[in-house]
Amino acid sequence: MTDAFRVSTARALVTTGALLYIPSNVLPVMTMTVAGKTEPLTVLGGVKELWDSNLPAIAGVVFLASFIVPLLKVISLGWILWLHGTDRNQRARNTVHRIVHRIGSWSMIDIFLLSVLAAVGQLGALGSVTADPGSIYFCGVMISCLLAAEIYKPRLIWESQFTTSS
Amino acid sequence: MISPIGKKTFQPALAFSLAGLFALILASTSPVLTFDVAGREQPGYLITGIEELLRQGYWPIAALVFVASMLAPALYLASVSYVSAACTLRLRLPHLLVLFKVSELAEPWNLIPVYSIATVVSVVKLRMIGGVTWNDGARWVLGVAFLTICAQQVFDRGLVEHRLEAMGALGNQRGEGT
Repeated sequence: MTDAFRVSTARALVTTGALLYIPSNVLPVMTMTVAGKTEPLTVLGGVKELWDSNLPAIAGVVFLASFIVPLLKVISLGWILWLHGTDRNQRARNTVHRIVHRIGSWSMIDIFLLSVLAAVGQLGALGSVTADPGSIYFCGVMISCLLAAEIYKPRLIWESQFTTSS
Repeated sequence: MISPIGKKTFQPALAFSLAGLFALILASTSPVLTFDVAGREQPGYLITGIEELLRQGYWPIAALVFVASMLAPALYLASVSYVSAACTLRLRLPHLLVLFKVSELAEPWNLIPVYSIATVVSVVKLRMIGGVTWNDGARWVLGVAFLTICAQQVFDRGLVEHRLEAMGALGNQRGEGT
């Protein structure tokens, strides 16, 4: 894989992630049925539910991991790739790339949460959990950003515009 | 060229990854949580959520959860165990370089520590609507998460490359591969 291909693929993946981020937050990711009452939940709806149940710490963790981290990932990777080939803020870009790589995976919390809830929530009208289309978009954001961060190696930050095709 | 390795050894990585692999087998075969509402109980295993998402037609999510919570952790822990064992015993085991590469590729997809946090959050959410019992699987999931983080901290890629080079495994196997 050439460096130029890495850069263009990473740019395409980040753009995809940015576009999918909108439906992933607008559409419900899961529907919970409790005692016959059905309630579709978006990412922020799940956070609000935890907050309303007097669980601010857990709500904070889910809010950070499911809403803020994916947004920061898209913005940070976009910024890194935007400045690719220039010598501006190379040290800062390198640090940001390392942070994105380290914390990026925490945004998978919502997908795993859906999996655990779906595993035990199969009690019909008494209590059940089903996935909704928003989760597919959310999944798309995660995969796009994870692959982009993997494909765009930090060493590319230090290379000038004229050496990226090697 | 051989440079001094110092006090760093491969035994901690071998110990953590082997223990993690053992814990992963137990986590995958034991129920994680049991949810009960109005006297009806539903136990859940690691694989149950994946099966249920597949049944609902959400195969991309099922595939992602399977890779991140079962396949990648198993590949990562097994490959780290294999490479660490070979380096510790100075044995030129077959496919060493391939498995060293597998450990590198599997690491970012090994999200079992995130899964363990999601399990804790799901318990909080489920307690809002019914009763939840922690089962052995949940403890093993937390164990795998802890051991994975430990293995990631002590598995030094530079040190492994250095040892493989000293054993003559790096050049030969690279040559075989190309």
